[in-house]
Amino acid sequence: MNHMNKAEFMRQLESLLQNISEQERQEALQYYDDYFNDAGPENEQSVIEALGNPARVAENIRRDLYGAGYGDGDEARKAVTGRELAEYDEAAKDSCSQEQSQPGGGTWQSGGASSGTGESGSSGQSGKKKLSGGMIALIVILCICAAPVVFGLIGGAVGLIVGVLGVVVGVLAGWFALIFGFGAAAVVCMVIGVVLMILGAIGMGLHPLAGVGIMGGGLITIGIGILFMMLTVAMAGWITPAIFRGIGHLFSRKKKTA
Amino acid sequence: MVFNTGAALLDAIVLAVVSKEPEGTYGYKITQDVRQVIDLSESTLYPVLRRLQKDDCLEVYDRECAGRNRRYYKVTSRGWAQLRLYESEWRSYSEKVTSLFEGKMN
Repeated sequence: MNHMNKAEFMRQLESLLQNISEQERQEALQYYDDYFNDAGPENEQSVIEALGNPARVAENIRRDLYGAGYGDGDEARKAVTGRELAEYDEAAKDSCSQEQSQPGGGTWQSGGASSGTGESGSSGQSGKKKLSGGMIALIVILCICAAPVVFGLIGGAVGLIVGVLGVVVGVLAGWFALIFGFGAAAVVCMVIGVVLMILGAIGMGLHPLAGVGIMGGGLITIGIGILFMMLTVAMAGWITPAIFRGIGHLFSRKKKTA
Repeated sequence: MVFNTGAALLDAIVLAVVSKEPEGTYGYKITQDVRQVIDLSESTLYPVLRRLQKDDCLEVYDRECAGRNRRYYKVTSRGWAQLRLYESEWRSYSEKVTSLFEGKMN
C-alpha cells in the first residue's frame, strides 16, 4: 500500500523539516540520504517501510531538538553527560579502577530518579541560593521603587510635625499677644480713667454735674482697667503655667507609656 | 522485549556499537548493529547520533565511498569516558538486580 519511492520520501521529509534550522535540516537529510544509499536500491521499499512515514521521522528529529525526547530517562542522561562525567574524569585521573567510579554510580542513580538523597539535596541547596539571590534583587528593586513613596511619607511626616509646631507656636504667640493686649488695655484704661478723674475734678469748677459725670466715667474706666489687669495677671501668672504644666504632663505620660 | 530501553541505556549501546570500529562506522551499519541487540524503530537512531555528536561523545567525518561521501561516526575521548561510566553503571545495576532475582539479597 506504500508505493512512495526514496525521492518522494526525501522531498516530504525536507518539507516537514522547514521549521528547524538550515544546518539541522541538511544534517538530517544527509543522514537519510546516506541511509538509503547504504541500504542499497534493492532495499528502498523495505527501508521506507521500516522508517515509517516521513512525518514520524520528522517528528522524532524535531522532538529531540526541542529537548522533550525520551521522557524521564532523558534527565538521567543529561546528568551523566554533565557534572557526573566531569567527576568520572577526575576519578579516571587518579586511577582507572572500577571501585573509584562506584561513588559516582550512586549519584548517577539519584540524579536520574528524583528520589535521590545526596544529589537532590545539593541541587535543592543551590536552588535555594539562587532563590535568595533573586529575592535580594527583588527587595532591592522594591526598595528603589518604594523610595519615592517612602520619601514622600517622611516629607509628609516632617511637614506635619513642622505644621503642628507652627500651630503651637502661633497659638502660644497669640496667647501671649492676648495677655499683652489685655495688659496694655488695663494700663490704657487706668491712664484714661485717671485722666478723666483729673479732667472731672478740674471741670467740677466750671460745670459741677458734667464734672461729676466725667469723674464717674473715669472711675468706671479705671474699674475696667483693673478688671483687665486682673485678667492679665490671671492669664500670665496662673493659666499659662497651668497650660505648660498640662503639656508637660501630657509629654511625660507619653514617654512613660512608650 | 518487556523492558524498555531508556535514553541512557540507548546512548550506552550506541556508544558501545560505534566504539567497536576503530576507524568509525556509518548510520546504516550502526542501526543494523544496534538492532542485533535491542528492538528499536529505525527512525529513532538519528536523533541519538545527533545528540551524542552535540555532546562531544561522537565526532563525524565524511569519507568518499563508491563515488559519494559517506558520513562516519567515531567515539571521542569524552565518548570513551562516558562509555566507561555507562559500563560500570550497568555492571553495578545488573549485578544488584541479578542477585535479587537469585535470592542473594534479602
